[in-house]
Amino acid sequence: MTLNLCILTPNRILWDSEVKEIILSTNSRKIGVFSNHAPIAATIDIGILRIRLNDQWLTMALMGGFAKIDNNEITILVNDAEKGSDIDPQEAHQALEIAEANLRKAEGKRQTIEANLALRQARTRVEAINAIS
Amino acid sequence: MAMAALRREGRRLAPLISPRTITAVRSSPLYPTLEDEGPLGVRHISTQVVRNRMKSVKNIQKITKAMKMVAASKLRAIQTKTENSRGLWQPFTALLGDLPSADVKKNVVVTISSDKGLCGGINSTSVKISKGLHKLNSATGPEKETKYVILGEKAKAQLVRDSKKDIELIITELQKNPLNYTQVSVLADEILKNVEYDALRIVFNKFQSVVSFVPTVSTVLSTEIVEREAESGGKLGDLDSYEVEGGETKGEILQNLAEFQFSCTMFNAVLENACSEQGARMSAMDSSSRNAGDMLDRLTLTYNRTRQASITTELIEIISGASALEG
Repeated sequence: MTLNLCILTPNRILWDSEVKEIILSTNSRKIGVFSNHAPIAATIDIGILRIRLNDQWLTMALMGGFAKIDNNEITILVNDAEKGSDIDPQEAHQALEIAEANLRKAEGKRQTIEANLALRQARTRVEAINAIS
Repeated sequence: MAMAALRREGRRLAPLISPRTITAVRSSPLYPTLEDEGPLGVRHISTQVVRNRMKSVKNIQKITKAMKMVAASKLRAIQTKTENSRGLWQPFTALLGDLPSADVKKNVVVTISSDKGLCGGINSTSVKISKGLHKLNSATGPEKETKYVILGEKAKAQLVRDSKKDIELIITELQKNPLNYTQVSVLADEILKNVEYDALRIVFNKFQSVVSFVPTVSTVLSTEIVEREAESGGKLGDLDSYEVEGGETKGEILQNLAEFQFSCTMFNAVLENACSEQGARMSAMDSSSRNAGDMLDRLTLTYNRTRQASITTELIEIISGASALEG
């Protein structure tokens, strides 16, 4: 009984093949999904998704969206997603520093919220790289 | 000076000869007004006029050919994006269903059209369908209302004329920057904020191939209607079998889901419409340059005939003048 995972963003299909297990971080907690899971509709927060193929773990950074788990088919729809291996560590660290600096500089509610969002995204990308190594 | 005398002699005889040439050209239905008094005083079609016309038709042909190539290259760029975005709204339809027949009180028709013209009939078909939806809804009951949200100049021009009071929101110049999801999701947010709705019907032209564009309607229902339909069973009945995760109440999650569905469907619809616009423009410009080519051929024939007629006329003048002098 194999689990089929499909990760879709508005710009492209990121993943469409079989996996053994995934660990998804929803808004409330992290859930692990094996085959024959009960049907679930979940919201995904900005965080990492871990995928296990055979004995290897892969990480992806997801920027918020939805997941539907049904009948051994997982469909994840997110605003943006990046494979951990595709992220350049230098660039991700730099982005994190810039985001932190922006947060300190931010004035006004809207700028603070935007800066917070950017910070969480940058942090997720850095986590995605670290989780592999 | 002798030539001038010959010419003057020839002029007396010319009206006897030239009517034949003139009627030959007059029978061509396109140019009844090209006849004028040329500088020689002889009635003949001016080659200058025909030449000017040929020049302008040639320019038109060049321009339309260039427009066709521009449209073809833009189409290629946007087509990959569209195909990638198609996968996104299908899971939503699988989960929440696409129910065009849902019975709702407040319908909002989102008409997507282009900003620029010269793209064939796609905008007219979208507007026709939007008006049809409006009529369909108002026909079924008095308390049903339909409002329009218009994207694009062309639909705005057509709908403002007769349905001005039903228009909620008009958005134009969508394609100034290359289309991306962030921009469209902000747009979708605006629409959701400002417009009360039970069902949103997005009208656009789906891009099947370079020569075929199918007008389509995608329906997105608001959360209350989704709950209502889910309770009454049918396609949405299995929605309840899903356990919902995510920390908030089920209602809030469904609301988020509906908003996400709307922005994804909008993104896909806008991209498909842009593809259809470029494809329609390609075929319109292609037929236009072909027509210009045909017109150029006809004009060339006329030009040659005119030229030969004027040469014949001059020859006859000279010869008859010369023979008059001799004889």
